[in-house]
Amino acid sequence: MKPTVSKISKSDLKASIDYHLRCSLCKEPPTKDYRDLFLSTAFSLRDRMAEKILHTEQRYQTSQTKRVYYLSLEFLIGRLMGNNLHNLGMFDVCREFMTEAGIDIEEVREQENDPGLGNGGLGRLAACFLDSMATLDIAGFGYGIHYEYGLFKQEIDNGYQREKPDNWLADLNPWEFKRTDEKCIIPIKGRIEHFQDRDGEYNPMWLDWNFIVGIPFDIPVVGYGGKTVNWLRLYGAGSSADFDIQIFNEGDYFRAVEQKVASETITKMLYPLDTIMSGRELRLVQEYFLVACTLKDIIRRYLKNNENFDRFPDQVAIQMNDTHPSLAVAELMRLLVDEYALPWKHAWEVTQQTLAYTNHTVLAEALEKWPAALLERVIPRHLQIIYEINRQFLEKIAARYPGDVDLLQRMSLIEEGESKLVRMAHLALVGSHSVNGVSSLHTEILKQDNFSDFYALWPERFVNVTNGITQRRWLLEANPRLAGLITDTIGDTWITDLSRLRGLEPYADQTVFMDEFRDIKRANKEDLSKIISDTLWLSINPDSLFDIHIKRIHEYKRQLLKIMHIVHEYLQIVRGEKTPTVAKTFIFAGKAAPGYWVAKQIIKLIHNVGQVINQDKRIQDALKVVFLPDYSVSLAEKIIPAADLSEQISMAGQEASGTGNMKFMLNGALTVGTLDGANVEMLEEAGADNIFIFGLKAEEITDMIKKKNYYPVEYYRLFPEIRRVLDAFRDNTFCPDEQGIFQWIYHRMMNNKDPYFHLPDFFPYIQMQDQIEAEYLDPVNWTKKAVRNVARSGKFSSDRAVSDYNRLIWNKKAPS
Amino acid sequence: MQLKHNNVKDVLIVRPLEKRIDASTAAEFKQNMNEWIDSGNRRIVLNLSEVDFIDSSGLGAIISGFKKIGNEGNIVICVVKESVMSLFRLTRMNRVFDIYTSENEALEALSGKA
Repeated sequence: MKPTVSKISKSDLKASIDYHLRCSLCKEPPTKDYRDLFLSTAFSLRDRMAEKILHTEQRYQTSQTKRVYYLSLEFLIGRLMGNNLHNLGMFDVCREFMTEAGIDIEEVREQENDPGLGNGGLGRLAACFLDSMATLDIAGFGYGIHYEYGLFKQEIDNGYQREKPDNWLADLNPWEFKRTDEKCIIPIKGRIEHFQDRDGEYNPMWLDWNFIVGIPFDIPVVGYGGKTVNWLRLYGAGSSADFDIQIFNEGDYFRAVEQKVASETITKMLYPLDTIMSGRELRLVQEYFLVACTLKDIIRRYLKNNENFDRFPDQVAIQMNDTHPSLAVAELMRLLVDEYALPWKHAWEVTQQTLAYTNHTVLAEALEKWPAALLERVIPRHLQIIYEINRQFLEKIAARYPGDVDLLQRMSLIEEGESKLVRMAHLALVGSHSVNGVSSLHTEILKQDNFSDFYALWPERFVNVTNGITQRRWLLEANPRLAGLITDTIGDTWITDLSRLRGLEPYADQTVFMDEFRDIKRANKEDLSKIISDTLWLSINPDSLFDIHIKRIHEYKRQLLKIMHIVHEYLQIVRGEKTPTVAKTFIFAGKAAPGYWVAKQIIKLIHNVGQVINQDKRIQDALKVVFLPDYSVSLAEKIIPAADLSEQISMAGQEASGTGNMKFMLNGALTVGTLDGANVEMLEEAGADNIFIFGLKAEEITDMIKKKNYYPVEYYRLFPEIRRVLDAFRDNTFCPDEQGIFQWIYHRMMNNKDPYFHLPDFFPYIQMQDQIEAEYLDPVNWTKKAVRNVARSGKFSSDRAVSDYNRLIWNKKAPS
Repeated sequence: MQLKHNNVKDVLIVRPLEKRIDASTAAEFKQNMNEWIDSGNRRIVLNLSEVDFIDSSGLGAIISGFKKIGNEGNIVICVVKESVMSLFRLTRMNRVFDIYTSENEALEALSGKA
């Protein structure tokens, strides 16, 4: 698809940038101030997108198209300038204009803050989906929270992670439109007064609530080609002057300020994923605030063209991105029943037909459960509604499976115990017409394990939609050299149809193409080496194998297994058991949740192992260990194109899908991985010869857990390689100045029974690494495999994923 | 708080002249309503034509008056702006009170009741 935006000339772009320098920034053009250039360019792009938003809206109105609303507590959108330039078809013009003016466009792009409005894959997926919906001309809109502070900035101090606030809004955000005209009032707290209505029927009244003001900020989302511009609406919490004025008038200045601060606190910060524990009231309020603002807005828009709710499910699809927005079930019911007076049965039909639920995790601790007492305090009416939904649901279950009390307890929305808990995943399941996992394996695990009772009841509701990534950001923008080679070779249709990459298959045997492919990888590795050198003052050999493990730090993702392998190789070399044949650079990046002690210790371990290995002259630079701080979307865009080997080594059955794995594949890295998440489908697509799969399968691990026949101590006793690696952690080899700090690893493996199965997978992993090393010594063969990986990555486009959602769940056609 | 009130036969018409009934005015509003009820008013029309916003303490004051009268009379509401009506729907108070579009309609309805 060629860009459909009317071509802009360099002189027009210059005039637009100069205009904004003068009128938006009050600066005299021309300028070489990168910050001013970024802002004035961004404003110029926003002008065009604003017009396109209006045109797109007119089109949607005329065609009465069904709208898709994607609710997510996280949108990891990354920097927008490059993406917007590409999708508007203005990148080349802008680069030429800047080059002629002696300005490096990359320096200008570096001025943009990278909004950290997400923890990782789930938030980035949401951002990729927005790009794909706009590109596919789907009326799809994101709804999220306008966090004042994104995920913390990571700094490293003596190997320890330190968290610093990410005040991404401290500077002007040139992309967003603040829409105070569409602010809304959200009630919260209070109590239920049990009353009777005029007809003597029970009429619960929600009284004594406070309110929060929801203020929308819209960020345009332009699809490739520029035909469609949708938007992402992020709500900030406020206490507007209108609503505070009375308190000020009373002269109670402090109370007024306190109220304002309390309201604004609600959207102050994004919670790091692994610290969201039940009972964190502010997080619950955030989840409620998002769904309440969103549903009010959706209904307001719907009622502009409709008098009742009969067409609501035909006009509106709401996708809940994970369990976090599942209060949408209760809030939509409350709105329909209380505020719009629909009979319960009708409201329930509308709710179920409209909502759909994506599950993103099988980790029990990540499936939210909120104390009923907390819900009663924060949203008492919603708790009432949840109880009523549960009562009606359990009645049906009891009628269908008479006498099965265990089943009732398992499926109930309420977990009985010392204190009652509301199972939010069950609420989402019961209130949706569709539930999907995010890879084939994950969906099967949901069906057979986590949600097996629900699957038995409603098999037709369960579908799989394997995750995807947008090639516009992760290849076109992130890896311009490779994108250029591909376009020169097979044309540019891959930009909107990634399956076209199959056209590269024949070139995996052509020397000229492979040489160019290899040169590009080498150039990307040089770029990354420079970043490492500038950031860490560490010299990297760009000809070494770049072995990369970048993602959130979590035990199940097994950064520790990677480190064990590195230590194993190190010990082999220093003890003379191995002469290195391939120089290797191990690159890590990722953040640990501030309250997750083990994850933070893993970061410290990576640094200490790196410090010892990198300085050990016996190694002669055969091994280097690098930890790049403050992992972000923009850092990932620089690391991934340089990867030779992608580490996707989670404990099988734990990673729902992964999307980093897909980004590496698309950029010509080979994957070493377990049969987990989307790795399974990557194996199917790439072919077994082009991916390095090792380790226990999910069902084998499940079986070992059930039979309780895994004894880590036996592995320690029987395998000297394992023993000496664990002993190295224990005997202070890597912490001479902080004795004993890594002894926890040994205890975690032995006394805590290695809950993430590092030891059974260790041997298969190091064997696979030996094979990888051997294969890397044959660059022609390696490059062939890399090209095949690129050629066969078409399935993993978010365009395919969004099309699947559209066909299988939202059931809508793109407007003509 | 400015409250206009007058009687038409045995019906008391109360019209708040404020744009908001909130924490700063609700207590006074509630006290006035109590006094009128205590002094024998049993049929009350609450005309909200001037009011743009009522917070939960203001809504609570209306409910309090309604409860105080109980079965001995009635409070009806009239001329409610959409911004206030949405708050009535939120609390489900619209299902408890009779709500009329004009003061005359409210008077007529209330006068017709024994």
